[in-house]
Amino acid sequence: MAGGNIPGGKDAQGFAGFGAEWRPSRLSPEDAHRATSWVEARIDRRELLVNKDQVADVRDLMWQLEKEGEIVVHRITDQHEPVTGRTIYGWEKRIPTNYLWHHKSCGQCGNIPGYPSSLLWLMNTLGTDYLDETDQTSCTAWNYHGSGIGNVVSLAAVFLRNFHQAYVCSMAEGLPAGHYFPLVHCGTSFGNYKEVRGYLLNSAKLREQVRQILGKLGRLVDGKLLIPEEIVHYSEWLHVMRERINEHRVIDCSAIRATVHPACHVHKMVPEDVLYDETVLDGNRVAVSTGLLQTLGAQVIDYSTWYDCCGFGFRHIIGEREFTRSFAIDRKIKVAVEEARSDVMIGHDTGCITTLDKSQWIGRAVDKIYDLAVMADCQFAALVCGAHPYKLAQLHWHASPFEGLLEKLGIDWQQAKAEFEAYLKEVAAGRGETLYDPRRAITSGPGYVPPALPRANA
Amino acid sequence: MAPALASDPISDAPAVPREKLEEIFADIQSHTLYDHELYGCLNCGICTATCPSAHYYDFSPREIVQLLWTENLEGIYDAMQEKIWACAQCYTCAARCPFHNSPGGLIMIMRETAIKHGMQSAKDVLRPFSRVLMKLIATGNQLAPNMITPDAFADWGPNIAKIDAPLNVLRKAIPVPTLHTMDTAWEVNIKTSIELYTIWEATGVLDQLEKIDENLFDVITDVMDEKRADYADWLEEQNAA
Repeated sequence: MAGGNIPGGKDAQGFAGFGAEWRPSRLSPEDAHRATSWVEARIDRRELLVNKDQVADVRDLMWQLEKEGEIVVHRITDQHEPVTGRTIYGWEKRIPTNYLWHHKSCGQCGNIPGYPSSLLWLMNTLGTDYLDETDQTSCTAWNYHGSGIGNVVSLAAVFLRNFHQAYVCSMAEGLPAGHYFPLVHCGTSFGNYKEVRGYLLNSAKLREQVRQILGKLGRLVDGKLLIPEEIVHYSEWLHVMRERINEHRVIDCSAIRATVHPACHVHKMVPEDVLYDETVLDGNRVAVSTGLLQTLGAQVIDYSTWYDCCGFGFRHIIGEREFTRSFAIDRKIKVAVEEARSDVMIGHDTGCITTLDKSQWIGRAVDKIYDLAVMADCQFAALVCGAHPYKLAQLHWHASPFEGLLEKLGIDWQQAKAEFEAYLKEVAAGRGETLYDPRRAITSGPGYVPPALPRANA
Repeated sequence: MAPALASDPISDAPAVPREKLEEIFADIQSHTLYDHELYGCLNCGICTATCPSAHYYDFSPREIVQLLWTENLEGIYDAMQEKIWACAQCYTCAARCPFHNSPGGLIMIMRETAIKHGMQSAKDVLRPFSRVLMKLIATGNQLAPNMITPDAFADWGPNIAKIDAPLNVLRKAIPVPTLHTMDTAWEVNIKTSIELYTIWEATGVLDQLEKIDENLFDVITDVMDEKRADYADWLEEQNAA
């Protein structure tokens, strides 16, 4: 095989590096092929997912239904400055990069608040406009997958309700409908919404059921259901913005050995609709997070259980954590530390970060002490772009030790901690700082103040 | 005494009537998504080979698919007592299945059916979920910062936050204004939570809840009646003004 045994040729990256000390084996092309072909055939993305009958692109159905007057599509326009990416089948997926409506995550906001704050901080840094408001419900899919309470109709109605709000929210600022495009923070919301969109587009019966409900809520557009042109995960936004983010990087992270945990509900649920990129691990694994880390200059280290889930389990994290913590420690954390000698595990989903971070402490009971820092891709990106580790990245909510990682990045965490503790006195006195004007968060109901003029950046 | 399967050689409990088994299977089979989740099965076992729950439980997605594919009514009923609740809902099985089956999706249909039939297994398994259900149905958020306490999550260690300060101050120190909350993950507009509740009502979700936990259902309906009254008052004030 050409390229010093690296699959895909000399410029390709192979399935992953093994860190800075990795050297090619210098096998002959024939020997290299013999040594790797069996494995490649089994871990290649096409073997896993594409070696089936081609699946249909539901977006074709979406455009057809719009043409027939059955639905309205919330379009991505030039104003949203879309960047085109590719999915596993090579289909194009347009990722809007400006004027975004944040669809928040229950677990992130409740328990890893540095996750959304880092994302918003990056957007401020890049000059991306957005709206984060109070008129959004949970997608309710965590509950559904955990408890079984809920159903296709309720999930579909919630999807349409929230995305309708994303469409009309700009009117509260005196701007036309469709100004902001929804950006989904949670991996489960992303997977669930992709799945539900498919059901809706394929079932006239389901559309009729939810039309009744959405009508009652006043959430139809010209009497029709509103479907977004794309369902976009924040990690896809990070991926297409990675070069621009890297322009703001102030910290060298080339010494960091990072492992990536790809989230199941991002890349296994409706697997045909998430970004893959030929420049990231030859397009053999989902591109998000890995592409960002590579662009920032970190070493992305492979590990044998990368395809495993985290152990969250939806129900288990609440009521049966013996499974969650055993799986997280034995199948993910232990492997990342012992096999990849990882400094940090990076994820792109709420439940995964929670599980992998919080499950480590109890390992002390059985001498399984790994102390691996765990955080979201956007938190890591914010840190190396100079965000304050406590004030912005809010790392104090993380249970596993992150201090060693900060030291390796050259960040004085003790000083940063002292600064944050001093800042808390300002906060207690009502002088906290925010990433946007809080008045914008209320777009209807009690507390809403209509604008005198449309926002200047329209 | 809870009914047992007719084929159970040990139990003295009365057997589950055949009609009941057929009724349960009919509900599974008539689910909107059933034909979307099950296409066939060659027993290859790739689903079980990659299943996280199969590592730790007596659980196999291959077995679940086979029970449904072969219409093994007693086996289906038996699996609904415990096994279906082992699934971690990661959908690795669905991504790997050469037949495009979704064992994880079939599990969800069986869980919904277990709830519809008020099975004791569902009630037992969902007991720890009641706080979450209350939060979600009444507010529109799954989780709240003040639910994460050392008592409830002792295995997460002593530091819920590594900075010693009151929760309300730490929350106000998050630079995202919608997150300055303790009772919900983010501040939810009252209109929004009422809209979600309307969806719950219209889609039979409250009926599911009543079947599983009548007390919780009563509490939630009281809370939401009050919320609706408050919002109606506010709207009236606006109209008057």
